[in-house]
Amino acid sequence: MQFPRHLRAGIAALTIAASVAGVTACGAGSRTGAQNATAVECDYTMPKESTTVNVLAYNSSAIDPFTNTMVKSCTRDKVTLKHDPIDFGGQVTKTTATLAGDTGSYDIIETYGFVVPGFAANGGIVPLDDYVAKYKDKYKLDALSSQMREAMSYNGKLYGLPMQAQMFILAYRKDVFDKLGLKPPTTFAEMIAAAQTIQAQGGIKYPIALPWNATADITTSYQAAMNSYGTDFLDRSGKPQFTSDASRKALEGLKSLLPYMDPQVTTFDQPKVQQQMFNGTAAMAIMFSGRMNDLTIPTNTKLANDFAFAAPPAVAAGAPYLYSRLSVDGWSIPKNTKLDKDMLFQMIASSVSEDASKAAVPAAYPARSGMVGDNSSKYATAANGTIGKTMPTPGNPAAAPVTNAIRPVLVQIITGKVDVEAGMQQMQALAEKAAAGN
Amino acid sequence: MRRREFTLLMAPSLLVMVGLLVVPLVRTIQWSFQKVQYGTPGEFIGLKNYSQALSDPRFGRAVLFTLLLTVVVTVAILVLGYLVATGMNGLGKLRPVVLGAMLVAYVLPNVVGAVSFSWLVDENFGGVVNYVIHALTGADVLWFTETWPNRILLIAHTVWHLLPFSMLMILAGLQGVPAELREAAKIDGATAWTTHRYVIIPTIRGVLGFVCLITIMDVLRTFDSLIPLSPQADAIGNESIMLYVFDVAFRNGSQQLGLGSAINVLSILLILACLFPFIRGLLKEAKAKA
Repeated sequence: MQFPRHLRAGIAALTIAASVAGVTACGAGSRTGAQNATAVECDYTMPKESTTVNVLAYNSSAIDPFTNTMVKSCTRDKVTLKHDPIDFGGQVTKTTATLAGDTGSYDIIETYGFVVPGFAANGGIVPLDDYVAKYKDKYKLDALSSQMREAMSYNGKLYGLPMQAQMFILAYRKDVFDKLGLKPPTTFAEMIAAAQTIQAQGGIKYPIALPWNATADITTSYQAAMNSYGTDFLDRSGKPQFTSDASRKALEGLKSLLPYMDPQVTTFDQPKVQQQMFNGTAAMAIMFSGRMNDLTIPTNTKLANDFAFAAPPAVAAGAPYLYSRLSVDGWSIPKNTKLDKDMLFQMIASSVSEDASKAAVPAAYPARSGMVGDNSSKYATAANGTIGKTMPTPGNPAAAPVTNAIRPVLVQIITGKVDVEAGMQQMQALAEKAAAGN
Repeated sequence: MRRREFTLLMAPSLLVMVGLLVVPLVRTIQWSFQKVQYGTPGEFIGLKNYSQALSDPRFGRAVLFTLLLTVVVTVAILVLGYLVATGMNGLGKLRPVVLGAMLVAYVLPNVVGAVSFSWLVDENFGGVVNYVIHALTGADVLWFTETWPNRILLIAHTVWHLLPFSMLMILAGLQGVPAELREAAKIDGATAWTTHRYVIIPTIRGVLGFVCLITIMDVLRTFDSLIPLSPQADAIGNESIMLYVFDVAFRNGSQQLGLGSAINVLSILLILACLFPFIRGLLKEAKAKA
């Protein structure tokens, strides 16, 4: 087969374009942002050999300040901290792989409360209590929130040094609410009433925007609704609670919001919900606090000054907690790292130091107490008001497999393909199987 | 060529093929009979992974959807590729420009193209197609949550992405058809249709077979485009085999590497079955030419 001259020219042009695109992409991928990060004290004992510390942490506006501070502050002389950009899904896969076996690819890993019990129970990460005791004065570690330390603990031992937390926050269009005489809702019923008024008089077809994508988003939302009634997926003994009264009420509560949301809500992740708010196609959104800063930036949307923030509603009046989840991020040290764990601990402790935590506000809600005052950001008051009214959920190693197992059925329930009662039974059976390790 | 030169020239390719094809294939087959987790030696469990995969209705749905996508896209690519290549063959000076513009769809990384494509029907990001459909019919199509609209979207994207390469191959084939053949057909009174049907298409049969082969292989491996275009693929029956394998073996920290391997082995058998007629045809043609 012979290619005429113009075809060869076309293919050559194509190759050049692809190469340029590839080079550009490589350049983008190598950026870590550490150059502009805050420098803090990172005073560890210098190893005798040249050492590379590999750090695994996903990129987000809330995590990056801590990662970048650590990379910038702790890289010196013979020690280099290496952090490559990665998304959350990639981190999950790489964490699972690196913690298995006698050797791993990473020396410091970003973890979060949901997965810490599983990694701790498998012996993948080391307890940090002795290091905390040793360095609590040097890095003022007593100031780390006890609630967040609890979230990063398993069987009474601390397995992750908390850096920051996220909780649900309600963002709403203050201009629309003021015009229609509405107040931020405190229950789902009030939220529906507000949505009906906005639909009728405010010209917004789908006033409520929630991230119910058929991934971790939908299970997190269901868990938040159950938590509002004081029940979690698993009770303290590890028994699944999907056929409980709280589960039924949570599912019914979630489904009651559907008429006021975009019909394709089960494909909406948090960036899409942000986009709905940016575009003005929704008047209320509930997302993790780490997503709120974007709403306040005028270059993202002309509505930036019209947004206000409040604690999310409870599912029903009288429910003990709000419709919220507390997701705590922190640093863990893999058991299979060959580097000095004392040195690694000092690195992670420096990244959650007072100066580092201050610099992370307002993008993050640091684990260090007293960092977020009511004037720290437009949503600081809402965050401070939410955190104490979010159900504390003790970790369980079975939580992650159970959550993965029930997800397909939960999606079918929310989309109306399976009714609530039958779905609850199916989820319970799947959860019991997953919890048993099958 | 001397044996030494032959060995030297062949060795790098052989090494790469063994390292990147043979070893993973052997390991996949081995793992498909084991319960495997990261960092631990596998535990032999016989055919349990295969029975689990074959009894999972989700696997059946993934196979059916993938086959449907493959058949529809391959037919569309052949027909459209031939038509566009024929039109392109008749273009004058504009041909390189049009050709270059068309190839952008093929050069783009699949997931980038898929995200851009999804914006055409996503009102959060413009949704131009939705506005046009609504203006013409008053209907709102749920592209991401309804099974058939989503299938149409996936088919349209896959055709858009793969068409340029196929068209390029067919165009090269068309330019290899001797002018004397066309002239002879014309003198014999053949119409445009009969010229294509009885002269040109039989002449480029080998190229068309090759296009089929490549298209089938590409579509059977559909994976990354589904992430933006079908966010709840499993729930609406639009999950591809490769997405199912990824979900089972890796997603959300899953470690069912044995089960994933078994599904991969079954997928390889399916791909071979689909490609068998084309491979046999190409081999026969090569043998005849030799």
